[in-house]
Amino acid sequence: MNTRTDGEVIRTRGLTRSFAMGSTTVHALRGIDLVIQRGEYVAIMGPSGSGKSTLMNLIGCLDTPTAGEYWLEGQATAQLGERELARIRNREIGFVFQTFNLLPRASALRNVELPLIYAQVSPAERRARAIEALRQVDLADRMDHRPNELSGGQRQRVSIARALVTNPALLLADEPTGNLDSKTSQEIMALFDVLHRAGHTILVVTHERDIADHAGRIVTIRDGMVASDEPHARTAAP
Amino acid sequence: MRIVESARLAVESIWANRLRSFLTLLGVIIGIAAIVATAAVIHGLNRYVSEKLSNLGKGVFVVQRFGIVTNRQDFLDAARRNRRLLPADARAIAERVPSAEVVGWEVHATTDLKHGDHEILDTDIGGVTPQVLEIEPYELAEGRVLMQHEEDRAAPVVFLGHDVADRLFPNSDPIGKEVRIGGTGLRVVGVAAKKGSFLGFSQDNYAKIPFSLHRKLFGSTRSINISVKAADAARMWETMDEVRAVMRARHHRRPAEPDDFGLLTSEGINDLWRNLTQTIFSVALFVVGISLVVGGIVIMNIMLVSVVERTREIGVRKAVGANQGDIVQQFLVESVLLSCVGGAIGVAIAYGASQLLATHTPLPAEFPPWAPPTAFGICTAIGIFFGIHPARRAARLDPIEALRSE
Repeated sequence: MNTRTDGEVIRTRGLTRSFAMGSTTVHALRGIDLVIQRGEYVAIMGPSGSGKSTLMNLIGCLDTPTAGEYWLEGQATAQLGERELARIRNREIGFVFQTFNLLPRASALRNVELPLIYAQVSPAERRARAIEALRQVDLADRMDHRPNELSGGQRQRVSIARALVTNPALLLADEPTGNLDSKTSQEIMALFDVLHRAGHTILVVTHERDIADHAGRIVTIRDGMVASDEPHARTAAP
Repeated sequence: MRIVESARLAVESIWANRLRSFLTLLGVIIGIAAIVATAAVIHGLNRYVSEKLSNLGKGVFVVQRFGIVTNRQDFLDAARRNRRLLPADARAIAERVPSAEVVGWEVHATTDLKHGDHEILDTDIGGVTPQVLEIEPYELAEGRVLMQHEEDRAAPVVFLGHDVADRLFPNSDPIGKEVRIGGTGLRVVGVAAKKGSFLGFSQDNYAKIPFSLHRKLFGSTRSINISVKAADAARMWETMDEVRAVMRARHHRRPAEPDDFGLLTSEGINDLWRNLTQTIFSVALFVVGISLVVGGIVIMNIMLVSVVERTREIGVRKAVGANQGDIVQQFLVESVLLSCVGGAIGVAIAYGASQLLATHTPLPAEFPPWAPPTAFGICTAIGIFFGIHPARRAARLDPIEALRSE
């Protein structure tokens, strides 16, 4: 459960990211200012090439900006080293990927335990917390199954459990339903709704309108800049 | 990340690719097996030499015409310089060195032995004083050794090595029977217990007769070996110095001149032997070292392949919080474990091989107890040395790129 109640989870100022591609420089992000409060459910939309993936990588501390600043939970991250960024990814961010990114040889339980291994949690506590996280996504009865023994929706739920298990400040989902059929997509989005109601801060990157409709705020990125940032009447899950 | 976790992941990963892992390890397996088997043979030889061949007994040394000669020039010098040793030298030592408790001497000749239709060619015939048998006791299979009164009157008696007794008397008890050396008949008084063979050479192919009889049969010009037992084994070196002084005085050696005789101790023989086997071992080590380097490179190669195959896994691990150190540790533990598995298999093969060698060949191979820990150490070093590059390559992967890879 997320016990934090208020304050900013994310604040970026002039966030810029350029890539050198041969002799030319590609400006993926050209100064993003974004603030996300605790408990918000935000969708980031934009066409491919808009820079939304780059933004997600920066917010997820998988990448560092070329210029600009980024505070996560009040901590400035732009200057942090590799170890500190790894620590932030471990403690503050829960990733949910389009392709699930589960370890194929490990059981669901082992997959969910993975972040806790890097958090130096003892085996007994690790197991207990992983089982609890699997229970939250309603998969406690499948914890000994490997990913290839689970359906797509179940795999994504394992990956959500893995994201939840460290009780992060932010759930960061990148096209979480991109590899799922529409019925399963609805189930996963319903799960996000439940998690949001439970107090989690959620950031979903998507290019699908009906996925973004679940969010309470939609930020549109175009050409590396914020094109629009509006509150949105959420479509509640059934 | 805790090392136990890394070890668990490594075991899972190695097991998931067990055939590939095994093939990867062939170089290390062969290298370690070869080196441990070589060590086992040398260890066995050393043990045999120190227990059976150079075991002169506590406080015992031997004065010989030639000491330990390790090259041709030394031998030629010694052959020109060193005089024959004679019973008079031995008696002088016995009289003038009080700390020499027992002094005996022995002379050797090679000739044929006969009994009825049975004949053994070129047998070592030792002429010994009873003191030699006191200093260097023979285990008896039957009968007795030679006595002082037989020495005193050059009695025609003989004491046989086990193989000689077997071959001359295949179906009968040799005690009291006659053995012929040339025209002389000798009565068998005893047979020694079997000593076995060393490197295929029988240690039981000899006959001992009284020294005085030996002189009669073979003449009195042969150089003798003088065995000396010091009264106090702990002060054997002092006794040796006194013996050396007596011998040098008898040979009129001037202070600057080297000894013109040799003093042989168990330590001396062992040292010579160790030098020899250490040379063999270092050559073997060098050859096997090459195989281990090749083995290490193969491990490095397969770890690099593994890093490429597991790029996405590495990306996932980084995304959920693994830092570079965690990734390095994971891959390093895997390469070390892989290498150590190879080492363990190699040691096991060498163990089996040394057992087989010991039972089916004349080599007295003996598995050295330090082999497993040493092999473990070597393999750990190989795993770290050849694993560090792939591990660092894995650790430096960009997580975004890694997550995108197929």
